[in-house]
Amino acid sequence: MKRPVPGTAGIATLAAALLLALTGCGGGFNNNKPAQQQSGPASLQVLMASSGDAETKAVQDAAAAWASKTGNKATVTPAQDIAQQLGQAFAGSNPPDVFYVDAARFADYASVGALLPYGDKVPDANDFYESLRKTFTYQGKLYCIPKDFSTIAMEINTDLWTKAGLGTSDVPTTWDQLTTVAQKLKAAGVNPIAIGDTRDRIGAFMVEAGGWIVSPDGTKATANTPQNLQALQYVQSLLKGGLAQYPKALSAGWAGEAFGKGQAAITFEGNWIKGAMQSDYPNVKYTVNPMPNGPKGAGTLMFTQCWGISAKTKYQDAAIKFVEAMTAKDQQLSFAKAFGVMPSRQSAKDQYTAQFPTDKAFIDGAANGQGPVNAPKMDSVLTDFDAGLQQLATTDPQTILQRLQTNTTAAIGG
Amino acid sequence: MALDVAQAPSTGPARRTGRVPRRRPPGGGVRRGERLAGWLFIAPVVTILGVFLLLPILMAVWVSLTKWNGQGSPFQAGVPMAGASNYTRLFTVDGLARQDFMTSVRNTFYYVLIVVPTQTALALVLAMVVNQRMLKGKSFFRTAFYFPSVTSSVAISVVFLFVFANSGAINSLLGLFGVHGPQWFADSRGVLHLLLGGLGLVNPDAPPSALAGHQMLGLSWWDWLSGPSVAMCSIIALVVWTTSGTFMLMFLAALQNIPQQLEEAALIDGTNRWQRLRYLILPMLRPTMFLVVTLGLIGSWQVFDQIYVMSQGGPAKTTLSPAYLSFRTAFKDFDYGSGAAISFILFGIIVVMTLLQRFLLRERDGAK
Amino acid sequence: MKTHRPLWSRIGGYVVLGFFAVVFIYPFVIQVTNSFKSEADATTNPLSPVPHPFDSTSFVHIFEGTNFPLWLLNSVLVTLLATGGRIFFDSLAGYALARLRFGGRRAVFAAILAVMSVPNVVLLIPKFLVLNQLGIYDSYVGLILPLIVDATGVFIMKQFFESIPVSVEEAARIDGASVFRTYWSIVLPIGRPALITLTILSFQGSWNEFPHTLVSVQNPDLFTLPRGLADLVSGSLGAGNQYPLKLGAAMLTIIPVAVIFLIFQRYFVRGAAEGGSKE
Repeated sequence: MKRPVPGTAGIATLAAALLLALTGCGGGFNNNKPAQQQSGPASLQVLMASSGDAETKAVQDAAAAWASKTGNKATVTPAQDIAQQLGQAFAGSNPPDVFYVDAARFADYASVGALLPYGDKVPDANDFYESLRKTFTYQGKLYCIPKDFSTIAMEINTDLWTKAGLGTSDVPTTWDQLTTVAQKLKAAGVNPIAIGDTRDRIGAFMVEAGGWIVSPDGTKATANTPQNLQALQYVQSLLKGGLAQYPKALSAGWAGEAFGKGQAAITFEGNWIKGAMQSDYPNVKYTVNPMPNGPKGAGTLMFTQCWGISAKTKYQDAAIKFVEAMTAKDQQLSFAKAFGVMPSRQSAKDQYTAQFPTDKAFIDGAANGQGPVNAPKMDSVLTDFDAGLQQLATTDPQTILQRLQTNTTAAIGG
Repeated sequence: MALDVAQAPSTGPARRTGRVPRRRPPGGGVRRGERLAGWLFIAPVVTILGVFLLLPILMAVWVSLTKWNGQGSPFQAGVPMAGASNYTRLFTVDGLARQDFMTSVRNTFYYVLIVVPTQTALALVLAMVVNQRMLKGKSFFRTAFYFPSVTSSVAISVVFLFVFANSGAINSLLGLFGVHGPQWFADSRGVLHLLLGGLGLVNPDAPPSALAGHQMLGLSWWDWLSGPSVAMCSIIALVVWTTSGTFMLMFLAALQNIPQQLEEAALIDGTNRWQRLRYLILPMLRPTMFLVVTLGLIGSWQVFDQIYVMSQGGPAKTTLSPAYLSFRTAFKDFDYGSGAAISFILFGIIVVMTLLQRFLLRERDGAK
Repeated sequence: MKTHRPLWSRIGGYVVLGFFAVVFIYPFVIQVTNSFKSEADATTNPLSPVPHPFDSTSFVHIFEGTNFPLWLLNSVLVTLLATGGRIFFDSLAGYALARLRFGGRRAVFAAILAVMSVPNVVLLIPKFLVLNQLGIYDSYVGLILPLIVDATGVFIMKQFFESIPVSVEEAARIDGASVFRTYWSIVLPIGRPALITLTILSFQGSWNEFPHTLVSVQNPDLFTLPRGLADLVSGSLGAGNQYPLKLGAAMLTIIPVAVIFLIFQRYFVRGAAEGGSKE
C-alpha cells in the first residue's frame, strides 16, 4: 500500500487551526458550573431502567398524574442499557433531569459530579431505612432518595417439595439443613437448587458467613477472608455435588425462569420473582422463606435504586418535587402492588406487610441485608468477580477471592 | 468487467514542467479555473473527513494521555493527566486493566487464527467450484454465497443467536446425530483445553502447575493456551459464514482473469487437475490471496458488532475483544483515556500484523 | 477444447455446491419461517421450515410493541441522505483528484489513503469526542453528517475517472465549458456504471451502519434499524425468548438490502472486486 509523503504544509496548518478553534469553542462540554435554573412550568426528562411492562406503565402513569396536578410536564423513557446511556448522557450537555441510579453505580456518578445532592432538601428523609440512605451517601452527603428496595429470599416450589416427601417443617434454616434437604430432593429425581451465577446471589452466602467484599465503611478490601472462603467453598460443594445448578445449565436466562419452569425446587431470588411468576408461570405454587442461616447467622443481599437528579438540570425544584411525589407513602405502596418492589419508607412497612403477608421474608431481610458495594470504579472489578464465580465449580475459591482482593485494593485503596 | 487500476502518471511531470496540452488557449485562465474548481470540488470531502475522521484521531491521542472521566471538556486546564500510564498500565502493571486487555488479545488472537485461514480457504474452494465452465446455475450459487455479506451484521447476529441457542437449530441438528450440543453462549471452556482433556494429555480441571502457576503478562500460561471458547466458536462460525462470500468474489474475478490459453496449454501438456491447481492456478492467485488475507486480518482484529449484540464479552470474558473492551472501558467505566489507549494499541497491532504478513508472504515470492 | 470430466466428478461438484448452498441459505430460511411461528413452536422446532401453526402475531408486536416504525423512518432518512451525499460529493472529489490540477492534490490523496487505513473501531471514541465538542451529539446532524462522505467512495471514483480518455474532456474545455460544466454534462454521464456501483455500496453501507449509531446518539427516538434491533436483542428490553419477534424484526431489516441486491447484483459484484483492487 503506497503512501505518498504529504506535500503541502497548508494542509497541516489548516488541520492545526481547525483543532485549535474547536478546542477553543468546546461547545459541547459544559464546565462544572450548576446549570441556569429556569422558571415557569418545568419539562422533565425521566430515564428509568424498567424491569418490565408493568413497571414502565406504573411509572408513566404516576408521572402523568403528577404532571397534570402540578402543571408541569414529565416524559418517562425506559432505557435499554441505562449504565451506558447515562454514561454517554453525562458526557454530553443534555442528560435527563431525573433518572434511576443503581446503587452499584451510584458512587461512580457521585464522584464525577453528575448528581445533585438534594437529600438535605427533602423534609422527611429520615423516614427511609438507614441502610438504604447510607448506600446513597457519598462523602457525607445524601445524594438521592432510595425509591424502593428488594432483598433475596429462598423460594420453594410446593409441589416439587411434597413430591420429595418433604413438609413445612423441613424448610431449611441452616446451611447443613439446606444440604440435607437438597440431597433428599436429588434422590427423588428433582433438581434441588437453581442459583444465579453472580455475586448478586452467591454474595448472600458470603454475608451469612460473616464476610463481604469491602469493609462497612467502603474503604478497605476484605475479599480474601476465611469467612468469604467458607461461603464460596460451601456453594462450590453444592455445585460439585449436583445439588445446585446455574441457570445456563438449565437452559434458563435466570434462576427464576428455571424455577418457574419447574426445573428446580429451590431458588434464591428477590421480590421481582413475584411479578415474573404471576405473569409467566401463574400455575406454580411456591412459598417465600428467609435465607438459611450461615455460620454467622442470618444474612441476605439488598438491592436498591434511587431517584437521581442531574447536576445539570434546569428544573431543580420541580425535579425534587417530582421525586417527593414518586416516593410518597401511598405512591410507594401502589408501585409495590404494580411491580413487586418494597417501599423504602419505614412508615410503609406495616401497611405493606398487611397487604402482602407472603412477602414477610422479603421485608424482614431489611434487618440483615447487605447493600451493594458503594465505592467508585468497582464496576469492572465486580464484573471480573462474576466471571470468576461463573467458573466456581471448577476453580479454587481461594484464587477467585485473591484476585478480587487484588483488584479491589487497586480500585479503592491507596 | 474489471476496471483497470490506472495509476495517474500525469500528476508529477505535468505539474513540474508545466506541460500545457497543445490545444489549450494560452494565458493560464483555464488553469486558474481548474485550481479553484479543484479546491471547491474537494472541499466537502476534505472538511467532513477532516473534522470527523482526522481531527478525532488527534483529539483521541490527547485524551489517551489523560484520565478524563467524561465530565466537562477534556481540553480545558485541570484535566487529570495520566501521561503514558494509560498505555504502560496495559503491559507492565499487574492489575485488572492488564488482565482484561491481555484476555481480549488472547481471545482475538485465537479468533483471527481460525477465522482468516478458514474464510480464505472456503472462499477459494467456493470460487473454484463456482468457476467451472460447464456449471449450470453459476449465477444462482454466486448469489447464494455472497448474499450474507451484504446484510446487516446486527440482523445476522440476531439470527445466529437463535441458531446457536440452547434449544436452537444447531443443537437440534446435532441431536439428530445423537450428539448433545453444548450451551453455546454459556460455555466458556476453551477449545484447546477441551481438546487436550479429550486426548487425555491434561486434566482441564487440574492443569499442571507448571502452566497454571506461572504467569506472563497477567495471564497464566494455562490461560494463554485455552484456545477460543465454545461461545467464541459460534461467533467464528458466524463471521466465516458472512465474509467468505466477499472474498469468494475476489477469487472469482482473479480466476476469470487467468487466460484460457494457459489452462489449455497445461492440459495439452498432460497435467492432471492437482498439478494444474498447484503450479498454475495458485501462483496466479497469489496477489489476490495476499489481498484476501490482509483484508481478513484487518477485519477480524476489529470484531465488535457481533460481540456487542451477542455476548457483550461474556461468558467469563472469553469473547472480549480489544475493540469491545475499548468501547466498554470508555462508555461504561467512564475511563475514556484508557479506552482511547486500547484502541490505539489495537491500531498498532493491526499495522504490525499487516506488515508481518506482507513480509512473510513476500519473501516466498522472490522474483515479484 | 472441452474438458472431459468424469461423471462422478461432476456430480461430486454439484453435491459440494449444493451442500454449501444449503449452509449459506438455510439460516435465512430459518429466520423467515421462525418469525412466523409461535414462541413455543420456535423453541421446540427451530429447524423445521414449516410453521405449525402459522402465527404472524410477532409482526403485530413489532409494529405496535416496539419502536420499529420510527427506526425504519430514521434508517430511510439516514440512508437517503448519506447515499445522496456520497454520490454527489465523492464523485466531485474523485474527479478533482483524477483530473484537476491544484496545489496540495497529492497531500489530500495521501490523507485520504491514510484515513482509509485507520480501522473503524479505532474511530469510535474519537468520533464521540468530536461530536460532543461540536455540540451535535445526540442529534440528527451528528447521526448523518459524518456519513455524508466516505473515503472509499472517493477512491473508487478517482480510479474510475482516471480510466476515461482525457480527450473527451479536453474537447469540451476547448469549446469553453467551465470545469463544473465539463464535469456535470460530459464526464458524469460516462461515469454511470461507477456511480451506480457507488450508489449500491453507499446504500448498503449506510443502511447497515451500526457502530456509528452507538457513539453518535443515545436518544431512542434517533435509533436506526440496526441500533433498534440491537436494543431489542441485547439490552434490558430484550430479555426473554421472544425469538419470532426478534427474527421478524431482523428479517424486515434485511429485506430492503436484499431486494436491491437481487436487482442490482452485478454492481455489487463489481463493487466487491473494486474494493479489493485498492491495494
